Amino acid sequence: MFHRRVFLGAMAGLPMLAAASLAHAQLAPDAAKAFIDQSGQKLVSVVNSGASTSDKADQLRQLVDQIVAVDQVGDYVLGRYKGVATPDQHTQFLAEFHQLLSYNITYQIKAYTGIGFTVNGASAMGDDTIVDTTITRPNQPPVDVGWAVDQVDGSPKIVDVIVAGTSLRITTRNDYASVITSNGGQVSALLSAMQSQIDRIKSNQ
Amino acid sequence: MLKLIHLPANKAKSRRKQRRFTSIAAPASLILAGLLSACATPPPQSDTADYQAYVQQDDPIEPTNRVFYNVNDKIDRYAFKPIAKGYVAITNQTIRNHVGDFVTNIQEPGRLVYFMFGGKPRDAGTSLVRFMVNSTVGVGGIFDPATALGYPETDTDFGLTLAEWGVPAGPYIYLPVFGPSGARDIFSIPAQFFLTPVEVAPASEALRIFNYSETALHLVNTRAQFLDPIDQIQATALDPYATFRSLYRQERASQLQLIDQRDTPTIPDWYAPAH
Repeated sequence: MFHRRVFLGAMAGLPMLAAASLAHAQLAPDAAKAFIDQSGQKLVSVVNSGASTSDKADQLRQLVDQIVAVDQVGDYVLGRYKGVATPDQHTQFLAEFHQLLSYNITYQIKAYTGIGFTVNGASAMGDDTIVDTTITRPNQPPVDVGWAVDQVDGSPKIVDVIVAGTSLRITTRNDYASVITSNGGQVSALLSAMQSQIDRIKSNQ
Repeated sequence: MLKLIHLPANKAKSRRKQRRFTSIAAPASLILAGLLSACATPPPQSDTADYQAYVQQDDPIEPTNRVFYNVNDKIDRYAFKPIAKGYVAITNQTIRNHVGDFVTNIQEPGRLVYFMFGGKPRDAGTSLVRFMVNSTVGVGGIFDPATALGYPETDTDFGLTLAEWGVPAGPYIYLPVFGPSGARDIFSIPAQFFLTPVEVAPASEALRIFNYSETALHLVNTRAQFLDPIDQIQATALDPYATFRSLYRQERASQLQLIDQRDTPTIPDWYAPAH
């Protein structure tokens, strides 16, 4: 029953995320809304195009590179282990995280057709601006998705995705921390697990 | 059995329900007691990053929880998921929405009680209005006109009532069959067995069949709703157990926030002071 809970962007964990954010000026809600609207329309045009699944996946990965602050999200996800990882491990982590994030985001969406994307509103939350949207798909219930947008290197970028009050970056952080703690605190274990996952995804494509 | 026949109808039903609950709870308790000794070993406190992660996870019986997670995963893979896929194949989203509305409506009186005990009068009022409107205008709960009238569903359970009383979530517990829970939320399970309108209806064979059918339909309909998200997590997470644990905790915190957010009293238009 716990899965049925309302799809609202009531972001329980976001206040504590503020500490991890970089020093910057907060993005105005209208600017964040315009950015998400534009990004969403690009996403919809790729997903609803008649291109093959692999072509759509390639285009979606390019889009992810443009609109998501992958390095910042990666550092947040690595969390306290960023101080434990060596510089080489950190570089390797960001490279693998970049690949995995792209694969994970495109995992199912590349097979979809007929999706709709509506921007509902935006509000400031901590250091981020949350843009609330609704995504529709034929024969599926609509899903409310919150996009946390931040100013990164002078331009707006997505730093988190929130569905039903659950944050993608917090969930991924807990997932990765579990792999490290299960392996005696070794960051190398996380890097191996990530590489295995990438190899598995590539072999399934 | 003979004794049950001579009991008043509601007592006989209560006994049957108690027995049904005991038949699930007793073996589960025994298994739990037997496996609780399998606790996670905390990392040394000198290892700050690792120790902080261990404390944050608050999952001291993780090895046992993982055993139950794997059991549930097998049950889901070979039973629930195929049934849910079959259900999706023979229904459309409109039907599934109406099934969801019907089940939600049956649970509404329980929510009313939880909100009252949790000191949430506005949420309790919303539950009451929802149940009255949806049970009548909504044809027994098949439709949800209450949401359109400005009374959206706010989910709750006894675990969240305890949270409103200040009871902390406590360690994470993964239950066989029931799935993710915690030291506080575990009390929701017996509460939801007894806090349903079916409990006050006169006992009959038809009611018993309805009760089982409604539970089964609820399970299948809910599983069908989450076919894609669960597939995605299992395919993309490095540690799906830890991912589900994180999602559960975040979702509970989010629900609590929503309950508080929606319990804001408002002054009705007719009470507006004259200028």
